Amino acid sequence: MVTASTLMETRSPAPNLRPTLPAAEAGRPAAPAAPAGQILIDIDHVDFFYGASQALHDINLKVEDKKVTAFIGPSGCGKSTLLRCLNRMNDLIDGTRVARGSIKIRGIDIHRRDVDVIELRKRVGMVFQKSNPFPKSIYENITYGLRLQGVSNKARLDEIVEKSLRGAALWDEVKDRLHASGLGLSGGQQQRLCIARAIAVEPEVILMDEPCSALDPIATAKVEELIHELKTRFTIVIVTHNMQQAARCSDKTAFFYMGRLIEYADTQTIFMNPGNPQTEAYVSGRFG
Amino acid sequence: MTTEPVPEFPAPMKRFFDAELESFRSNLILMGETAASQVRSAIKALVESNTSLADQVIAADDEIDQLEIKIDEEAMRYMNLRAPVASELRLVIVGMKASHDLERVGDEATSIAKRAVRLSAELPLKPYVDIPRMANIALEMLRDALDCFLNGDTEKALAVCRRDAEVDSINKQLYRELTSFMIEKPGTISRAIELMFISKSLERIADHATNIAEEMIYLAKGRDVRHTDEVKKNGGVG
Amino acid sequence: MSTELSAGHVFQARVTLAQRWEQACFWLFRGATYLVLLCGAVVFLNIFVKGSRTVFQPTAPFINTAFFTESPESLHVFVWQGKKMEMGDREHRAFVAQHPEAAKIKTEDYVYSAGGIFPCIVGTVLLVVGSMTIALVLGVSAAVYLNEYARDGTFIRFVRLAILNLAGVPSIVFGLFGFGMFVLFFDWNVSLIAGWFTLAFMVLPVIITASEESLKAVPKGFREGSLALGATKWQTIRKNVLPYALPGILTSSILGIARVAGETAPIMFTAAYVVRDKLPWDVDKFSDFFFQGVMALPYHIYVVSSKIPQNEYTERVQYGTAFVFLLIVALIATTSIVLRNHLRNRYKW
Repeated sequence: MVTASTLMETRSPAPNLRPTLPAAEAGRPAAPAAPAGQILIDIDHVDFFYGASQALHDINLKVEDKKVTAFIGPSGCGKSTLLRCLNRMNDLIDGTRVARGSIKIRGIDIHRRDVDVIELRKRVGMVFQKSNPFPKSIYENITYGLRLQGVSNKARLDEIVEKSLRGAALWDEVKDRLHASGLGLSGGQQQRLCIARAIAVEPEVILMDEPCSALDPIATAKVEELIHELKTRFTIVIVTHNMQQAARCSDKTAFFYMGRLIEYADTQTIFMNPGNPQTEAYVSGRFG
Repeated sequence: MTTEPVPEFPAPMKRFFDAELESFRSNLILMGETAASQVRSAIKALVESNTSLADQVIAADDEIDQLEIKIDEEAMRYMNLRAPVASELRLVIVGMKASHDLERVGDEATSIAKRAVRLSAELPLKPYVDIPRMANIALEMLRDALDCFLNGDTEKALAVCRRDAEVDSINKQLYRELTSFMIEKPGTISRAIELMFISKSLERIADHATNIAEEMIYLAKGRDVRHTDEVKKNGGVG
Repeated sequence: MSTELSAGHVFQARVTLAQRWEQACFWLFRGATYLVLLCGAVVFLNIFVKGSRTVFQPTAPFINTAFFTESPESLHVFVWQGKKMEMGDREHRAFVAQHPEAAKIKTEDYVYSAGGIFPCIVGTVLLVVGSMTIALVLGVSAAVYLNEYARDGTFIRFVRLAILNLAGVPSIVFGLFGFGMFVLFFDWNVSLIAGWFTLAFMVLPVIITASEESLKAVPKGFREGSLALGATKWQTIRKNVLPYALPGILTSSILGIARVAGETAPIMFTAAYVVRDKLPWDVDKFSDFFFQGVMALPYHIYVVSSKIPQNEYTERVQYGTAFVFLLIVALIATTSIVLRNHLRNRYKW
């Protein structure tokens, strides 16, 4: 658990995650990555615990830059846990720890003691299962993260609000009511507002935890469309229970079961010709 | 009380994978055009005893085969990842079947071209009249079937199905004619057999065109017309 | 045999034992509820009717302003030129100055039965404002710590138990504690500040518990959303949790206000004077303000009801004070409710 005091201590030597390139360290087996897309997130032999119970077993996975990576698997398989490891949201839960292995973003182990979790979360944004616009105006929702960073120039804020809302394909729908409450929007719009809020702080990675599970098919299609547009600018990791969604929007798919990574491959391979019978059973709906 | 205004249905949303469907459609059209031009060239090579043209046809078959593979790949990818339903699903399935038919059309064209090469070494048995006529009908059928794919004109496609009998009757007529040739002059047997096979190829091409037309009707209407009275009506001869 | 012939239909109503009980219980519950209403109405009407004789008057401006603006005085009753006169202390002195012969007339004196209760109102308001400020600062801080920062453990469970116990402590014990702690040990004497802290400690459990509930009611998504945008914990709490919890906290503080304003026991040893001529702002230097005792409405009621000889004249001030007291509590509560509704409309989820 990160308390305010530990944050203060680690604030100053915040390592800059951005300029460092993915380290192809010696002595490490070469990443079995597709030629396109560099490795952005390197999850290396990670064991993760909630207190005494192990939630993740020896996860090895490399997320490619500017690609959409989908995590699929039955409930409780650890996919959300892994997702929340990537921006250390699990720190908020008592008794959680990465017992073994490392998660590296651009070669930097994000669990290192001198990593400022605040800085990390600015770089690794998150969109949640239940859309959670703050009970503030749309404008304030978007500028929330920027104001935290001390941006107060009105013109600059206006510019970013428009850019983010356009980026989230929401501008045309809300441009006339920027100062109305974000809660007055429909479910799908709320979720896109949350995405706009996340991209306003210009992260490198956007984590999406079942972003469409509460949306109707039309709103879902819009969010998927958006995901497809966003991947030119951001690396996206999406957890989903919707197999079609994983198939439609992702480039790579990882199948988890019981805290283990069963199969990780190109999405088309996972859905057309999975290498593992468990994967096949799951994606074809004959599981258990 | 004023009447409730009818809610306006929103315009169809654009999706990021619409382009995949477009590419699939244009590949199928391309394949149809290629197959038709192969048939045309093969017949031309036969009539003009043009071996180099025939060789070109034989060489170009690979193009059609590659297109078939590509269309199949695109179709499987689309079905796998995009979960198509309704007209999209029909399009993908029909596309796969039609591409198979077109590939066979290409094969028949190659076969005609090969026979044209062999026949070019000998004198023609008789002036080529019936075979180009048959070829024209078959090509028209193919064109009409593809037109139906382009603009959904199912009437044309139905007409294609009905015209198949016409080709069949010419084929039968040629068969009888060539048989009598062979009986009369055994020296013509090899040429007559080649011509019988060419005629048979054209008949097969017409059959494929009919298949494609039936598939296009299914694509447009969602109704399977194969082996129904609808396509047999006005069937005429045969 | 068909059902149509025998008993009407399958859903035919029949009077059964269960239905009798149903009726009986219904009337029992209904009766109990009406009884409560009746009791309340009797109490309020009693105070209203008797108190309004003091507070209101038949001539313009219809409100007895003197009762609100003057200090308590003794009532002098005497016979002057065959007429029975009732006069407050000051009035009597002026009367005597005008008619020197009146000085010789024997008067019957009744303490506190004349004049007004202005110092008591002021004192009560000061006590409420001060103690609620302290209680809210301490209580909300503690609630934030318990709900947002603290990890569940033995210590926290112990703290919660302590808060629970504190809520059960009788108010007179708080009075005694305040007396021992603030008045004697800290040597603050009987003073506003001693009263503030004593009252604050008394309402603290209510405030903490209610604040914690309000904080818990703020959806987890707001915290996660904020943290995921790179906010620190305190930024998250300040900008994205506390504002939404505020209406709930204010609701709880309304309860607190009613208690703080109403309790007599905690202030009788720590802050309240039976009578004080000087008003609270009438001090030599600023710091003295905190170290002065004040009069307070509940204590005044207590004094006039039990500490002075009862007679036909005391009822006026007793019921008048009680009525004003109720009005003031209602006023404070209304203000809080309006404020809460205002905030609640601003933050809705």
